[in-house]
Amino acid sequence: MNLQVVYCNHQSANLSIRERLAFAGDKLEAAYRELADRFRSAEFVVLSTCNRVEVYSAQESPDASPTRKQIAEFVSDFHRVPLEEFSDELLAETGPDAVRHLFRVASSLDSMVLGEPQIVNQVKEAYRVAQDHNACGPLTHAMFQGAIRVSARVRSETRLAEGRISMASVAVSDFGRGIFDRFDNKRVLILGAGEMAEETLRYLCEEGVRQITVVNRSLENAEKLAAQFAAVGARSRSWDALDEELARADMIVSTTGATEPVVDVNRFRAARRRSGEKPVFILDLGAPRDFAPAIADLDDNVFLYDIDALEVTCEQNRKSRYREIEKAQVIVDEEAERFMQDVYHMATGPIVKRLREQWHDVSRDELERLRSKLSHLSPADLEVVERGIERIVNKLLHPPLEALRHEAKQGTPHGLIDALKRLFHV
Amino acid sequence: MPIEFFAKVSVFCFLASYLVALGLDAARLLKRLPVARWVGLVFGLAGFAAQTGYLLIRGRQENLPPLLSSPHDWLLVLAWIVVLLYLFLTVVDRELAVGLFLLPIVLLFVGASYLVSKQPNPLIAGNLGLVKLHASLLVLGIAGVVVGVMLSLMYVVQHRRLKQHHASQPGVLLPSLARLARWNWWAVVVSVPVLTLGLGSGVALGLTSQKAGAVLSFSDPIVLGHGIVWVAMMSLFVWLLATRRSTGKQVAALTLWAGGFLLAILLGLQVLSLTTFHSGAKTSWWEKHCKVPSAKCKVQSDNADATQCSSLCTLHFALCTLYLPSSCFASLEARA
Repeated sequence: MNLQVVYCNHQSANLSIRERLAFAGDKLEAAYRELADRFRSAEFVVLSTCNRVEVYSAQESPDASPTRKQIAEFVSDFHRVPLEEFSDELLAETGPDAVRHLFRVASSLDSMVLGEPQIVNQVKEAYRVAQDHNACGPLTHAMFQGAIRVSARVRSETRLAEGRISMASVAVSDFGRGIFDRFDNKRVLILGAGEMAEETLRYLCEEGVRQITVVNRSLENAEKLAAQFAAVGARSRSWDALDEELARADMIVSTTGATEPVVDVNRFRAARRRSGEKPVFILDLGAPRDFAPAIADLDDNVFLYDIDALEVTCEQNRKSRYREIEKAQVIVDEEAERFMQDVYHMATGPIVKRLREQWHDVSRDELERLRSKLSHLSPADLEVVERGIERIVNKLLHPPLEALRHEAKQGTPHGLIDALKRLFHV
Repeated sequence: MPIEFFAKVSVFCFLASYLVALGLDAARLLKRLPVARWVGLVFGLAGFAAQTGYLLIRGRQENLPPLLSSPHDWLLVLAWIVVLLYLFLTVVDRELAVGLFLLPIVLLFVGASYLVSKQPNPLIAGNLGLVKLHASLLVLGIAGVVVGVMLSLMYVVQHRRLKQHHASQPGVLLPSLARLARWNWWAVVVSVPVLTLGLGSGVALGLTSQKAGAVLSFSDPIVLGHGIVWVAMMSLFVWLLATRRSTGKQVAALTLWAGGFLLAILLGLQVLSLTTFHSGAKTSWWEKHCKVPSAKCKVQSDNADATQCSSLCTLHFALCTLYLPSSCFASLEARA
């Protein structure tokens, strides 16, 4: 049995690498097809967010499982990015460490913004998509269901999810408040209508923002999102109105899933000509980025922040809550250990089942023989005999099964399983 | 507390207090030390109390309000106003990093007060009301410009942080760019008219003094210097009111230039100028340290009137201002 994760995240690779390796939009479907072609018997889940690109794999037989190198080659071939450009940034964990990593990710312990709620939904979505593409198996099912359960436990048993827990909250409190002293008179433009856009809008409303425009390629989705915030005057506009809205906005939050920048330098320069040099705060939460980085240099009053620009601020936020991190880490370690025991125990399941069946088959055969030979016994007597034999079988089975269970706590007991197979011909 | 308690207070006492307060504020840049904030505030308050007592004692000794006693006291009053502003802002918002911006200016004023004359001007006795108005308006106008310079510096630092994506340091916060730009605008728009009134009252004072037969000239270096500064500040003022689309950074940069120019001229003239109507001193730091031109002035003053000599010395001041830093750089380069 082999569990593995090959990944790069905001700690190991900068955004320029991550955005090239991201499995955004339609790419995910093609990725699962490619993975299925290359590694037929393995289970996969691909988790691709703005802060991480992670490929989880699992395989019953350790010999046939894909290696780190093979996964790295797949990523390189799929994105047509030479391996040497990101090989050093690509990390891997196996076995219990892979499980612990997933549990940390789902609990947002590995997130840039500690305690942020989006990540567990992103994990759930990745798991759902993997299921849709028939890429999951018993091990990945167990892993991801476990991760979702651990995330809920961390959320309820620690105060990790309190305070500044979204990219938008961190960026607005540290940078937005450095530019503007109030938000209720600012025009806010939201590009994209996904979960992050919704989360950002919720935070901005708490900050007092009252002039919100949602622009999205799908007007229907923009309307849906704007409708949720109609009470604070949110409205939606079609993608065609983007240039006009860029010129009007004081604050722009971009969260689209576009694979190329949606606003390049020329487009934004034209918007600045119309708006004048008023201060504009741009928060680009897209990966790949939605705003060309050179836009930041257009004039003194353009303040552009992408995800990597928030790294130091997020680290300060993280340090201020180190006690909660410790508590959450204890939960993650405890759950990862329990999960691994269950997995190892699961590996002994088939041998235990077959051993039980074999011995009970033998006892049933002997009982039948006794019934035919001792026909004078009443049904009550027969039942007593039957129970006696069953107890003997269970007592005989107990020592090997207990040894198996004990061994399974340390890892898959391959030696013991082989011994049982040979001793009892199962 | 009796005022005599402050009789032994020297300029060094409060200069050292402000220096310690500044050091503690600077230490917070390296590490978050909540106690440093309070200790710094205590040193600031101690310095302020000592300075207040010192000014009151000086006023009593000279039998004049501190603002009019001498250029030494006038500079200390200016520093006192800036310290008051520092203490007020520090108490109002403990997270604001005002000390880092205001205390160096305070130290500059207090340090400069060492170098200027402590002798009262004998000519002010006749026009005490107008002199009071002139000195008060000028000191308030200059304090307003100092505030503008501080806000501009804060703006530049905050702008740089935001542009370079540096996280803010807890305990050393700055107001938003929008607020700094707005306050800066007001600082300039209020201080320039006050300065104008101050200069206007000075002109009126000059005219009345001349009528009374006093030796006072409008080519006095300080009068000329303030006139030049006033032109610079007025240009900024007009530009601010006339330009609708000025950015905060442009305003900050111009305020820094104009305000910095004002401070340089103000301190430079006070420290370096010869016997003038404003300095009231027989010998100044300038005379002590720049022997040759001073001697030339001395010769001139024997032959011509003081007005001509003052004009020459204004030129001398400009040359020496250029000479002193360049000679420092030259010696540094030689060491390197």
